Amino acid sequence: MSLCQVNMESRKKSLHYFYEKVVVPLGFKFTPDNEMMNFLLEQEVILEGRHGIPFCPCQPLRNDRTCDMQIVCPCIPFHRKHFDDIKRCWCGLFVHKDVLDPDKLPQLPPKEVKNE
Amino acid sequence: MKKVTIYTLSTCPWCRKTKNFFNEHKIPFTYTDYDLADEPTQKRISQELDAAGATGFPYVRINGEVIVGYQPELYSEALAL
Repeated sequence: MSLCQVNMESRKKSLHYFYEKVVVPLGFKFTPDNEMMNFLLEQEVILEGRHGIPFCPCQPLRNDRTCDMQIVCPCIPFHRKHFDDIKRCWCGLFVHKDVLDPDKLPQLPPKEVKNE
Repeated sequence: MKKVTIYTLSTCPWCRKTKNFFNEHKIPFTYTDYDLADEPTQKRISQELDAAGATGFPYVRINGEVIVGYQPELYSEALAL
């Protein structure tokens, strides 16, 4: 295993450890899809290497600090209503604590969410 | 043939799934990876996202219809598959 791979795995573990402490009190957990979780964490390590911050891998950087800080993972507090409604965060790294099958959760944008 | 344009991020797994959907259905499409694009292109895509009320990727335009997020059922409907 190369030094680069060691750093990648070690950083993924660190992010996992840190994120869990933040998202569990918010009623979320890591997706049970391990392959997806690993891929997303890997992308965040890459983004952190590129920008110094582990941004969401599925939302755009706007080159505007206020906007960009709202997509730093875990970005749940900035999109609470939307993510509570769709029971996942946008990239799907986190799902509501009661979700067992993340594949059943559509990736709906805010304007398509039907509130009951 | 409907014109399909996709905006994606190179780091986004749902964007990859979206491209796979169109490839598997043999639907030709053009795509731009927002994060790898130059600044004017990013600005243009940002404006389009804002106009559509989209906050994330993938962003798919099938003729005039915009579909935000990985939503294969909606892609099929829009393409009449």
